[in-house]
Amino acid sequence: MRLISFRYLGRQRILTLAFILTLASTLFSITAFSLLGFYKGFNAYLGEGEDVVAIYERGSRTPFTGTVPMYLAEQISPIKGVLASSPEVIGPCIVKSESIFIRGIIPEEFSKLNPLTIVEGDMLELTDVNFAIVGKGLAEGLNLKPGDKVLALGVLADRYVEVQVKGIFESQSTMDDEALVPLYVGQWLRGIDYGHVTLIRVKIDKDQLSSCDLLNVIAKEASKPAQTGLGKEEEKQAEGIIPVVKTSFNLEDIGVEEAQSFMRSYLDKYGVTKEALLILSIMVFILASASVASASTTLIQEHKREIEVLRSLGASKKTLKTDLIVKILSWSLAASAAGILLAAATLTVIGESGYLQVLSHRVLYQLDPLIVALNFVLVSMLVATSITCIDLRH
Amino acid sequence: MAFLVLKTLFRKEGTASAILAVALLVAILASMSSIVNHINFQTEALGKVPTIGEAYFILSNSSTSITDSQVDTKLASLLDDVADVKYVLPQKIFIATLATKSSKHTTLVRGVEDIQTFLNVRNSYVKGAVANASEMQADVGEVLARLASVHVGDEVSVTVGGRFFKVKVVGIVKTLTQSDTELIIPMKTANHLSGEDGKVSFIEFALKDLNPGDETISRITELLPANTKIVKVQQLKNFMQDVNSQTLSFLGLWSSMVYIVVTAASYVLATRLIAESSYDLAMLRALGAKKKLVFKLVITYTATIAPLASTLGLAIGIGGTQVASTIFRWIWPSIEINPFLEPGQALQILLLTIASSVLGCIYPAFRSALKAHVEQSL
Repeated sequence: MRLISFRYLGRQRILTLAFILTLASTLFSITAFSLLGFYKGFNAYLGEGEDVVAIYERGSRTPFTGTVPMYLAEQISPIKGVLASSPEVIGPCIVKSESIFIRGIIPEEFSKLNPLTIVEGDMLELTDVNFAIVGKGLAEGLNLKPGDKVLALGVLADRYVEVQVKGIFESQSTMDDEALVPLYVGQWLRGIDYGHVTLIRVKIDKDQLSSCDLLNVIAKEASKPAQTGLGKEEEKQAEGIIPVVKTSFNLEDIGVEEAQSFMRSYLDKYGVTKEALLILSIMVFILASASVASASTTLIQEHKREIEVLRSLGASKKTLKTDLIVKILSWSLAASAAGILLAAATLTVIGESGYLQVLSHRVLYQLDPLIVALNFVLVSMLVATSITCIDLRH
Repeated sequence: MAFLVLKTLFRKEGTASAILAVALLVAILASMSSIVNHINFQTEALGKVPTIGEAYFILSNSSTSITDSQVDTKLASLLDDVADVKYVLPQKIFIATLATKSSKHTTLVRGVEDIQTFLNVRNSYVKGAVANASEMQADVGEVLARLASVHVGDEVSVTVGGRFFKVKVVGIVKTLTQSDTELIIPMKTANHLSGEDGKVSFIEFALKDLNPGDETISRITELLPANTKIVKVQQLKNFMQDVNSQTLSFLGLWSSMVYIVVTAASYVLATRLIAESSYDLAMLRALGAKKKLVFKLVITYTATIAPLASTLGLAIGIGGTQVASTIFRWIWPSIEINPFLEPGQALQILLLTIASSVLGCIYPAFRSALKAHVEQSL
């Protein structure tokens, strides 16, 4: 008995099931897109690609709180294969009662790693002693424009700085939620001396140099005997405006790793992996699936008479279930697609309102093909399973 | 009669699955909230670490920056009388043009009453001497000294709005603060340069107790005029709170999505109940029950299963996360996750679930009540 062309299901009743499916799909998509968006954004915080390497302090509990000797950046710079060596200080602070991150940089070196587009005002120079450039997202959030004065209060140190906004930049990355200042300003806010920075980012030519080669260079520096005379430190009267201080260090304290792996290792420490976040999102879907199963039962309950008539006419349970699955599956796929679109729209609205933030950085979500595919698969499986399990009693 | 019908409704096949469907949705909320609570607790614990920061500012209420602020110098003497105060440093900051033999620079000038104390509290390193108030002397920050090629013994010109002064550099200071890019001069000289007396940009002070209670700050606030405010320099606690509120804001929005699903689920469950109980409801109407009663019955049914489902959901959510975190600890002993749910949050989830469920069942209940008993399918 063929039922495919026989329309015995009420469209409005199917719509109820489709609506529930859309909501379940939206909930799953919002959870998965936002969690994986955070994961991806955090990993790419210091740069994507295998050619960006981070020199960092192994023992630090967060990527923002470690310190490494700054002079290593200068030692590394002339090595063949090093394209840029950018010492950076990341300083959490409070501006206009909002938590933000201010990054101390050497603009020339930083630009080689993160090309910045100045959308308003001018680019920062190392000699701009009381100036900052502000990311587009942060400028919008705090309503800042070039010429505005900003009082930044320290978090990790009892320090403050007042800087004037010199320009607004755009980088199409999480950096757009930060302010950039000359390196020494970042060092004040972070509460460290001129000889240390949070980390050094190095851009390398992979054909000429590897992260192991860099570690060897650092090992040579570490093996040099500690300086005497001025105690632990020997001040080098450099031509530049930052007083360069050479400090001794233990090689075991320094890590050299691909920037993305470095960031990933911090999340791994706390058990936050891509797989774990995906499982969490799937769990949300599974917990919501009881409602979908209930909606499927309701649909059958509402078509009890039609189904009984068909059964009386000789339609087997198998034929009926197959027909129901075929008929509802197309609605389910449409509901799944609607759920994904609804989730994307919701996240866009939430993101633009500034509510989708983690550690004062906007979570940039993407329509991950894996999540989209998983969504379709899960919805289809759920509908098929719930219809298969329904008892079509005669 | 109504009670009997209600009892019949509860005995329907779909009741158990209805409770489970809502309970699992509540479990999502409970588990997510308890994990976020753990994360926020960790962050807050970090924020409660006794701070090393001791400095406070007194700024004018309307100012958003230090250079725009103006407060009465006399306020400093009020603070001198407070026993808990460690030091008081009135300071005047303004922008000036610094001219050396070879170059000109726009720089910040900081006028300080007691430069020695100012440098001491910053653990500064001074190459040369501390500027003397009685003579036209100045100290230059190390970064500014390098930028402008200024050395101890040099004479530099400072110009502010047509006023011009020559000062002798007696020291290069390293404070590891913004003062490393400033010209530090005695307050007397700063008053001459800026042309204003009796006003300073702000007053910096510190208390002997590093973590004073709110009473101490309140006591100082009472001494100050209404047009001033006290700002703590180190903002660890506020930073942590703001970071936490970002997570909570998103959780709040995400939870509202779950409540929408609860509302939709409740709609489906009420529809199913009405479909399953069509005979009972038709009989009730045939026996003379009013439309209102049918409506009430469906609402009562939903309002009864919603708290049951919520309680079960809370138990599943909290229990599930505890089990998961214990397994997590076995696999990775270094990671300690202690999810928890506060009673207030549990109550909030319970009430919002009841509200969402009732909201979801109103339309099917209303539709069912409108049907005459002859229209009801038996």
